[in-house]
Amino acid sequence: MRCPAIPFSFRPTFRPLSPRSRPTTCLHRKPFSPITAPFTSSARLLRKDKGEKKDHRITSIRYHLTHGLTPRPLRFSRLRALRHWTIHRAWLTFRAKQRAAAELELQRQYESMRSACEMLRLMDENGMAVEDGMAAQGKDVGRLYRIAMEKKGIWDSVPIEYARIQMDYPAKEAWNHGWTR
Amino acid sequence: MTAGKQAVRPLNTCLRCIRQPASSNVSLPAAPSRFFSSSTRNSEEAQLQKSDQFSDLDPRLVDNKRDEKRLIKTGVLPIGSRRRRAALRTAPDIPFEQLPYQCFQEARKVLQEDRQEKIRQIEVIRKRIANLESQDAAVGGETGVKEGRLRSMRNHLEELKIFADVNDPIVKKRFEDGEGDMNKPIYRYLADRKWRQHKRMVLMQRVTQMNLVPDVLPKIDPVADVDLAFGRRNVQPGEIVDSRVSEMVPRLRVQVFDKGERLVTVVVVDADVPVPEKDMFTYRCHFIASNIPLSPTNTSVALSRLDPKVDVSKEAPPKHIALPWSPPWANKGAPYHRLAVFVLQQAEGEIVDTAKVAKNTKRDGFILRSFMDKHNLKTVGITMFRTQWDEGMAGVMERAGLGDQVNVVFKRKRVEKLPYKKKDPSRYH
Repeated sequence: MRCPAIPFSFRPTFRPLSPRSRPTTCLHRKPFSPITAPFTSSARLLRKDKGEKKDHRITSIRYHLTHGLTPRPLRFSRLRALRHWTIHRAWLTFRAKQRAAAELELQRQYESMRSACEMLRLMDENGMAVEDGMAAQGKDVGRLYRIAMEKKGIWDSVPIEYARIQMDYPAKEAWNHGWTR
Repeated sequence: MTAGKQAVRPLNTCLRCIRQPASSNVSLPAAPSRFFSSSTRNSEEAQLQKSDQFSDLDPRLVDNKRDEKRLIKTGVLPIGSRRRRAALRTAPDIPFEQLPYQCFQEARKVLQEDRQEKIRQIEVIRKRIANLESQDAAVGGETGVKEGRLRSMRNHLEELKIFADVNDPIVKKRFEDGEGDMNKPIYRYLADRKWRQHKRMVLMQRVTQMNLVPDVLPKIDPVADVDLAFGRRNVQPGEIVDSRVSEMVPRLRVQVFDKGERLVTVVVVDADVPVPEKDMFTYRCHFIASNIPLSPTNTSVALSRLDPKVDVSKEAPPKHIALPWSPPWANKGAPYHRLAVFVLQQAEGEIVDTAKVAKNTKRDGFILRSFMDKHNLKTVGITMFRTQWDEGMAGVMERAGLGDQVNVVFKRKRVEKLPYKKKDPSRYH
């Protein structure tokens, strides 16, 4: 039996076993139930009873009203604050370095892909490199490159609205009227 | 720290806990060794304490009532709480950068590594600059390309110098204590940043709200911190100053944030001199002094001490002051006068001939723009104050030789009301 007065987040994780899972060898006892009628009819008990009927939504709202999202301000002594500042600066430095390294890695990967495509573009049917320029005009030169660059079917399962990344504002030049194939 | 020392340390602390309260603060070298004996030595101690009059009670470290009372009797108040003082006494005096906090030490390691990297970058860019400088200008191609590259590289070098030190907690601490060496770029950078965060904003607000900027100069971008004071009276920008205070020659503190020596000219202009005949206002120059040396460490400009009086008696041409200070004045009933103090940087290696300036410049109707154009000056600093008629103004004007102006009173022209005329009642129906 669940008591509706306790909000979900404050409920205990461990609950007594249900009667179904009780081993058969156990004596069948009446399941535990809280006392419904008070011993006395004193005002205090009555009040307590009333208090338990609070709505858990109200409890939660009151909790979040009194507990702001802003953490309390840091109040430190001078040297403590200076140590905190040092640690913070070190953390920022560390993060900046990580970011720079990640960017460098991306750049390296991009360059590597680009050079691979360039090699494909200048490759003839025998897999040999040809000179850029007039020699790269043959039918089989760069065939693999052309296949790799095909954009067939990439928008098949995606609505066409997503062909352009969704922005807050329309583009400055919304439609290129001069475009021809 | 060795294991032995570590083991001994708590013992030490224990010993410190049971130190004698009375004699603890007075430095007696033999006191701890004679802790358990109570023979004649105690009386000697008492004598000693009496004789030296508790002069070595440290207000930072006194931690019992008796010593505190003694200290207060000598006229020195103990610093901080008793709890803090007691803690300071027992705490070992470790320098800040060696404080044994693990995260802090790790952070310092990271920052030091970063600094080493920045220093390496500085060396590299210095070499590059040297290489480029030694190169022939024709190699790079167009003229001006080399200069542009050199300029950007030097800017980058200055940036790196700041990046190398900006994360150092000791630098921050020293700057906050006001012990920064302004010859070093990092302290200049920090001072500049601090100035721009508040003081410069206030200054610019006053300057623009009181319309000094389009009235006296078309635009201004101050890069130096200027403080104005009359004697010991500091003046905030735009403050209304009593005429008896502004009668004396002011004192400037000009803090520049870029390195090197330079010569400046200080000009004080009154922007609100009324011309009743034409129903307009004009300018008046109150002070011009030129060729004042300034550097990041040489900040004080005492305008009264620029040309010592000895020189004047010798009839030598003044080196600095072209127009001496004339106290600002305002007529009774006239609105307040805005007095702008400009610090103008002279071009590199140029010296203003003060005798010529004194001869050619008229105080009334002084136009700062043409003065700046003539002498090739650039604005670096500005501050302002205001003056208006007050009870001391008559005396100031008498002393300045303006006795005829004392009784001139400006009054508002009364605008007569138009006669009442009953309106046509039919328009209300």
